[in-house]
Amino acid sequence: MRRDAPSRVELLQGTLDLLILRTLLAGPAHGHAIAKHIQRTSEDLLKVETGSLYPALHRLEAKGWIAPSWELSNKGKRARFYRLTPLGRKQLAAEQSKWEAFSHAMALILNPVDPEEQ
Amino acid sequence: MSSFFQKLRWLRQRSDKEAELHEELQFHLEEEADQRQEDGLTEEEAQWAARRELGNVALVEEDTRAAWGWMRLEQFGRDAGYGLRQIRRNLAFSAIAIATLALGIGGITAMFSAVDTVLIRPLPYADADRLVMIWDDLTKSDGESKFYSTPAEWYEWRRLNTVFTDVAATTSGDAAISGDGDPEQVPARRVTGNFWAVLGVRPQLGRVFTEDEDEKGVRVAVISHGLWQRRFGGSPDVIGRIITLNDQPYEVVGVMPREFFFMPARDIDIWIPASFPPWMRKNLTWHDAHIVARLKPGVTFRRAKESMAVLSLQVTAKDFRGPHSVTVTPLREELTGKTQTALVVLLCASAALLLIACVNLANLLMSRGAMRGREVAVRAALGAGRGRLVAQFLTESLVLAGLGAVAGLALAVPAMRFLETLVPETMGTVRITPDWRVLAFSASVAIAAGLTFGLVPALRGSRLAPQEGLREGGRGTAGARSHWFQHSLIIIETALAVVLLTSGGLLLQTFQHLRNTDLGIRSEKLLTFETPLFRYQDFDRRVAFVNAQLERVRAIPGVINAGAINRIPLTVTDQATFYLLHGQSRDRIPEQVALTRVVTRDYFATIGALLREGRFFDISDRRSESPVAIVNETFANRHFPGRSPLGERFKFGRTGDKGYWYTIVGVVKEIRDRGVTEDLKPTIYRLHEQADQSGDQPSGIMVRTAVEPASIVSAIHRAVWSVDKNQPIWRIQTLEEIVDRQLSTPAQSTTLLTAFALLALLLASLGIYGVLSYAVTQRTNEIGVRMALGATSRDILLSFGRRGLALTLTGLGIGLVLAVIAARLMTALLYGFQPRYAMAAAVVSLVLIAVAALASFIPARRASRVDPMIALRNE
Repeated sequence: MRRDAPSRVELLQGTLDLLILRTLLAGPAHGHAIAKHIQRTSEDLLKVETGSLYPALHRLEAKGWIAPSWELSNKGKRARFYRLTPLGRKQLAAEQSKWEAFSHAMALILNPVDPEEQ
Repeated sequence: MSSFFQKLRWLRQRSDKEAELHEELQFHLEEEADQRQEDGLTEEEAQWAARRELGNVALVEEDTRAAWGWMRLEQFGRDAGYGLRQIRRNLAFSAIAIATLALGIGGITAMFSAVDTVLIRPLPYADADRLVMIWDDLTKSDGESKFYSTPAEWYEWRRLNTVFTDVAATTSGDAAISGDGDPEQVPARRVTGNFWAVLGVRPQLGRVFTEDEDEKGVRVAVISHGLWQRRFGGSPDVIGRIITLNDQPYEVVGVMPREFFFMPARDIDIWIPASFPPWMRKNLTWHDAHIVARLKPGVTFRRAKESMAVLSLQVTAKDFRGPHSVTVTPLREELTGKTQTALVVLLCASAALLLIACVNLANLLMSRGAMRGREVAVRAALGAGRGRLVAQFLTESLVLAGLGAVAGLALAVPAMRFLETLVPETMGTVRITPDWRVLAFSASVAIAAGLTFGLVPALRGSRLAPQEGLREGGRGTAGARSHWFQHSLIIIETALAVVLLTSGGLLLQTFQHLRNTDLGIRSEKLLTFETPLFRYQDFDRRVAFVNAQLERVRAIPGVINAGAINRIPLTVTDQATFYLLHGQSRDRIPEQVALTRVVTRDYFATIGALLREGRFFDISDRRSESPVAIVNETFANRHFPGRSPLGERFKFGRTGDKGYWYTIVGVVKEIRDRGVTEDLKPTIYRLHEQADQSGDQPSGIMVRTAVEPASIVSAIHRAVWSVDKNQPIWRIQTLEEIVDRQLSTPAQSTTLLTAFALLALLLASLGIYGVLSYAVTQRTNEIGVRMALGATSRDILLSFGRRGLALTLTGLGIGLVLAVIAARLMTALLYGFQPRYAMAAAVVSLVLIAVAALASFIPARRASRVDPMIALRNE
């Protein structure tokens, strides 16, 4: 597979929640860190808009999937950290398997397996 | 549930949350700036970059707050509060807006409550929409397409029909109650035993009578709630009591609930078994029954109609007049009658008024929206999205509409008292009240109105680009398109006002026509009452009694004359019979039907009837086997066009060998005693002393007085009772009262429609005034420039005046076309009268142009007085 220079792709509707939950699986983080992590891990393909990040965080919090607490950042400033709740963990598992099934299905259709190549 | 409590908790910690969110985003900014600085930007550059990356902080905050829930509600509350502040700040504007809305919403709410009561609310019968009434269609013989049926037909229909679960019949049977307490005459009906089952009604107390009792002629009675309360004090032991009806004992078996009523009037007090005698079951000409039937499940109204038409032809095959068809009508239509059309027309009129009110408000808001350009620009610059601005404007509109609705209800409730008189007499007594349906209706109307008049101004007001609005003195808001829109609004409301005014004009003409219709009776100072004569079955005794009581009545001081007829004019249920002219073949009988009246000698003189030729009855007319008759002009013109019918002879009623030959001695000018709006028919009058071959009894007394009729009522009682102290007297009323009641529906609908039309005119002219004044204010600069360049005051005046007039004329043209369509919809309210449309249109045009000219002139004159120096200095 050929790699093009990284060009941004649009986040699919509804995937931001999954990405946030997955990011928090590694441990508590504040909003800015979460955005940067997603951007870095996706090799700059995905860029999280601040305009949708904070509404999403507060929405997940309202659903009880993540919980906030004020802690000091590594630079010693007060920051609002989010961590995954048990409920969020369950949700992540569910979302993830749903997503995997979906992307598997997409792959099957977009790249049909050629029996000759096997 | 947990999220609900979470939200509640958040709601409590509201301000903390706000601060936290702010801090969180602040932290994000700093973090971003730090990172950019690490990437090599200067501190200042990094901070700007971070800010750009984050975008509109206020918007992000707002979107985030939206995730907390409750947001919309809170926003609404805040906007509503802001709306209320705006209302307080612009009191004049708000007062006009709320008053306009109050008229619109109040009008439609009141009309809806009447429509709801009369047309929508369930009737007091089980499954009332499956009930129909069946009438004889006698178009061929009598010209009536909806006439009473005969008990004979009822009997056959019931036996042979395939479309009804059952068919019941009722006939008149007014009765005097005596025995316990004062004698009292009450409206009563004779009904078949299955009547109760057909309607699906139950008594409140006791039982109803059975078919078996009807069949056997058992004397039992079911009484109304009203009579039970009035005469029996609401005591439950009325059941089983024996009461005397027309001198015969009846046992009370049941009391109907308060809300029960049935044709022909709401005040029926007693129902007794019809118990048709065997001869009646064979006589196809005894037309005096109302027939009500219940459709079988699955049978459509149309199929019932078709099936009954066929069955009727079969049943009446042997009728000597030839077979006739039937007319089937839904029961509700019979109960509501013309009121239905009147209510629908008035509801439409009130809707048009509301629409005009909304259009006016839309215009006002647009003008004001343009003035609020800066406010909008500031809000937009501070991060309000378009949706947010629209929501804010709409909320303000809704607050206005809500206040308007409250004020409207305050107007509607007293109006309902007036509307109660619109409820037809065939229906139960009702109070129109603002119940939950009316309140719900009013609320939805307010919301719909708020959205209607608020949406376009909101969309327009929010479209402003911030930099344009913020520029000092910027006024780029009123482009050609906004003029175009406001102008169409003016045209719409003018057109609607024209439709209402023209329709009102047509109704007014019709009402005038009805009012001025010559009844052939001098109706002022004419007292009427009824003396049921069931106790005088013997002909000679009856004649003696009637003459004696009239003699005593005439002797009362203040009485000029008194006469009697078998039915009081304008309360007549048609009494018709066949007749045969001397020398005619008997085949002609089936097509010759005339109304018959039995009168006393002084009847014509008393009511002030006029003679065309011949003479009225006089002292020389005595009981005889060669009696005389007086006919009306319709009768004379039908058979003796262009020549005198005096001396001609005819038989009627009994047309066989035993029937008397009547000689015509006089032709009376038309007396419209069937009703103001009814057609004239051939009518025969005969003297009661010669009417021994008729069952008609002269029980309706007419008294011409020199004094106020009400002042002699007790003297009348004494006079009649001095002849027979047990004689019932009832329905004492003046002829004018009867006429007023007959004209009450046209009177009410005319008054209401005219009121709606005048309000519409007022609102429309306010609209024209408002739009032109706004244009003048907005274009002060332009006017200044034009004047500086040499335009005279007159030019300016004409240019603005012309615009107002052009809008008015366009609206007028459209309105006049629509009015023709509207007139067609309300044909039923014109009672066959052809009002002059052109005249109504001409008057409306003149009035509208005059009002519009005034409404345009005031702002136009203001424009012409602009001082160019002042106007241009503003620049």
